[in-house]
Amino acid sequence: MKYKILKGLDIAGLQVFDPVVRLCYGEEPAVQIKKISQFIVVPTLTFLLFLLFWDFAGPRHTTKSGEVPTPAVVVDAARGVWVFHQRETIKGEDLLRSGEDRLTALAAVDARLAALTPLAATSAEELKAVEAEARAHLIDTTADLNAAYRAKRLEYRDAANARAAALKTQAALLVENGTADRTALLTAVEADKMATARENAEIQTLRDQRSALENAKYPPLISARQKSNALAEELQFLRKRRDFLTAENRELMLVDANAKLAELQTDLASATDASAAVTAANAIEQQRETIATLASASYSKPWTLPAQIDRSVRCVIIGFLVASALAIPIGILCGLSPIFMAAMTPLISLFKPVSPIVWLPIIFIIVGGFIPDPSNSAVLRFIDYIPGLSGMDVNPAFIASALTVTMCSLWPTLVNTALGVASIDKDHLNVARVLRLGFVAQLFKIVIPSALPLMFTGLRISLGVGWMVLIAGELLSSSEGIGKFVWDMFNNGSSQTFAQMFVVVFVVGIIGLLFDRIMIVLQRLVSFDGAPTAI
Amino acid sequence: MAFLELNHVGVGFGPSNRRTEVLVNVNLAVEENEFVAIIGFSGSGKSTLINLLAGLQVPDTGKVLMAGELVREPGPERGIVFQNYSLLPWLSVTENIELAVKSVFPDQTKAERAAHVARYIAMVNLAPAAAKKPGELSGGMRQRVSLARTLSMQPEVLLLDEPLSALDALTRANLQDEITRIWEQDRRTVVLITNDVDEALLLADRVIPLTMGPGATLATSFAVTLDRPRDRTALNHDAGFKHLKAEITNYLLGLNREAQALRVTTPLAMPNVLPADFSTGARQLPRAITRRQLAEANAIHNAKDDSSSA
Repeated sequence: MKYKILKGLDIAGLQVFDPVVRLCYGEEPAVQIKKISQFIVVPTLTFLLFLLFWDFAGPRHTTKSGEVPTPAVVVDAARGVWVFHQRETIKGEDLLRSGEDRLTALAAVDARLAALTPLAATSAEELKAVEAEARAHLIDTTADLNAAYRAKRLEYRDAANARAAALKTQAALLVENGTADRTALLTAVEADKMATARENAEIQTLRDQRSALENAKYPPLISARQKSNALAEELQFLRKRRDFLTAENRELMLVDANAKLAELQTDLASATDASAAVTAANAIEQQRETIATLASASYSKPWTLPAQIDRSVRCVIIGFLVASALAIPIGILCGLSPIFMAAMTPLISLFKPVSPIVWLPIIFIIVGGFIPDPSNSAVLRFIDYIPGLSGMDVNPAFIASALTVTMCSLWPTLVNTALGVASIDKDHLNVARVLRLGFVAQLFKIVIPSALPLMFTGLRISLGVGWMVLIAGELLSSSEGIGKFVWDMFNNGSSQTFAQMFVVVFVVGIIGLLFDRIMIVLQRLVSFDGAPTAI
Repeated sequence: MAFLELNHVGVGFGPSNRRTEVLVNVNLAVEENEFVAIIGFSGSGKSTLINLLAGLQVPDTGKVLMAGELVREPGPERGIVFQNYSLLPWLSVTENIELAVKSVFPDQTKAERAAHVARYIAMVNLAPAAAKKPGELSGGMRQRVSLARTLSMQPEVLLLDEPLSALDALTRANLQDEITRIWEQDRRTVVLITNDVDEALLLADRVIPLTMGPGATLATSFAVTLDRPRDRTALNHDAGFKHLKAEITNYLLGLNREAQALRVTTPLAMPNVLPADFSTGARQLPRAITRRQLAEANAIHNAKDDSSSA
C-alpha cells in the first residue's frame, strides 16, 4: 500500500509529499522531518513572506483605481466573483423551473426574502447611525484643526489688511514728499508679497491636514456599508429570482401564451366575416411563433469568470491540439529526412520568433474571410458538432484566438520532435534494417517510441506557451475568456475590478500549473528512460 | 563453394587524396555449420568486417556472398548480435523478441508466436525476467535477450560482434558456456568477433586473426581441433590448447609493432619486496634474491623472446 501511494505520487509529480507518506508509515522520522522542513516548510514560509510583503507594500501605492489590493481584498474579490457566478447560474435555472420544483424554489425565495427584509432595514438604519457617528467623529477630530484654521485665517486677513494700509501710507508719503526713497517702497511691496505667500502656504497646510482627516477611512463605516451593500445586493438578487419564478417564468408565460392562443382560436371559429377571419388567422400564426420562441427561451446569462475560464481552457486545448497535429508529423518528417529539414528550416526560423500580437490580427482577418456571416456559416455549424465545442457558441474571435495559440505553440513541439527523431540510436535503426521492417512499422515500432520523451518535452513547453499566448490573444480579439475578463476589468477601473485582476493572476497561474503537471504525468508514463522531470 | 564468402573485399573512408583503408583484400570462406572466430586488436576493423557480413555496410571493392548470392542488404537470415545489445528500451524482453519474430514469421498465429518467443526466452534462461524492460536488467541479461532475439529469427548465419566484451569475467564465462550449449543443440554457421584468445579457442572451429589496421586483412587461419564439448577448466591443462593459445598470442603480438615497442626486453632489477614472516615470532627479513637467480630469470625471458620473434 505504502509503495503504491509513493509510486502514485512519483508518477503524479508530487514527490514533495513523499516524506509525509513515509512519516505516516513511521519510516526514519528524523530523515523525513528534515525532508519535510526542506521541501514543504521552506516553500510555505517563502510564500507567507511574499504575502506579508504584498500586504505591506500594496496599500502604500495609490493608483487611479485605488490602492493596490492586499491579499485579503483579493480573496474577497474572488469570493465576489464566485457569488456572482452562482447567482447568475441560479437565475438561469429559475427561469426554466416548472411545476413542483418552481413552487419549492419560490417558497424558499420568499422565506429568505421575508427573513432578509427586516435585516436589510435594520442594516440601513445602522448604516445611517454609523454615518451620523462618522460625521460626529469627523467633527470631533477636526474641531481643533478647524478652530486653528479659522483663527489663522482671520489673523492673516487682518495682517494682510494692516500691511496694505501701511503700504498705502508709505505710498502717500512718497507722493507728498516726492523725494523720499522709492527703493524702500519697492522693498516693502516685496516683503508684503512674501508674507502673503507664506501665510497662504500655512493656511494650505492646515487645509490639507483637514482634508486628510476628512478622507481618512472610518472602519466601522466601511464595514457597515459593506454589510448593507451585501444585503441590498442579495435582496435585489432574490427579487429577480422571484420574478423569474413567477411573472417571467417560462412555464407560466407559456401557459399564458397558450391560453391566448386558445382565445384566438375561438375568435377564428366564431369569426363571421372574411376580414375578421384573416385577422384572427394572422394573430394565431403570430402567437404560434411567439410560443415557439418562448419555448426555447433561456436566461441570457452575462459572462462570469468561471464560464470564461471554461471557454479559455477549451480554446487553448483546441489550439494546442491543432498545433500538435501539425507539429508532430512535420517534426517527424524533419527528423527523418535531412532534405525536408533543410527545406523547413527557413520557415521555422523565420516564423518561430513572431509575436502572438502580430499573428492575431492577421489570423483574425483570415478567419473572417472563411466566415463572412457568423450568424449563418457552414464552418461554425461544423465546429458546433465537434465534441467539447458544441453549444460553446464558437465565433470567429474564438477561432482566431485558438489559431494564434496554434501558431505560437507549434514550434517547441516541432523542434523537439525533429530532434528526438533525428537522434535515434543508430543501433536501433540497424535492428530495424536487419528485421527488414517496412517504413510504417519502423515509424511506429522504432522511430516514434524512441522520440516520445523529447516529443513530450516539446508538447509540455508548447502547452505552457499556448496558455500564455491565449490570454493575450483573447485580450486583443475580445474573444470571451480570461483575457477578455482582464481587459473588461481594466477598462472598468474601479478598486474592486483592480482586485479581480489579481484574482485572475492566480487563476491563470494555477491552471497553467495544472496543465504542466498533467503533461509531466503523461511524459513520465510514456518515457522509457525514467527521465527525471523538472519542478 | 563456401557458405559465406568475402572475396577481395576492401573498405575505406575519406576523400581519395587522404583515403584511409580500413580493410584491404579480405578473403574469408566460412563453411556451413562452421564456427569461425575472428580475433584482432581494437580498431583493426572487426566491427566493419561483421557489418559487411551482415549487409549493414557495402564494401567499396570486392564481394560479399552468401550461398553464392551477393549480399546487398541486411536481413534476418544473417542474424547479428550487437556489441551493445541494441535492445529497444521501451519494450519488455518478450516484446523485444516478439518484434523480431513478428517481422520474420508474419504468418504465425498468436499462440504459435507466443510459444516461439517463450522457447527462446527459456533457451537463454530468462523466463523470470520476461516482462521486464531492458533498463531493469543487468548487462549479461541484456546480452542474453539480444542473443535470444537473434536466435529467434532462426538465422542461417549467426554473426556475433564482440557480444561478451562489455561484460565482467564471470558473466562472460557463463554466457560463453551458454553460447556453446546453444550451438551444440542447434548447429549453424557462426562468425564470432572477439579480442579474447581463450574465448575464440573455447568456442570456435577455426580462429582467424585480423592484422592491424589501417589496411587490415585476414591472416591464415588456425584450425582448432580440440574435442567438443570443451571444458573450460580441463582446457587450461590441455597441451594442444596451450600450444594453440601461445601460437595465436604470439602471432598477434608479432603483428603489433606498437606492442613490440612496448614489450620490455631488458630486465629491470626489482626491489626486494618479499613479505616479512611474522609467524615465527622473531622478525626475520627474507633472504634477498641473489644476483645469480636474477641472471637465470633474465636468460629464460630472453630465450622466450627469441623463440617468438623467430
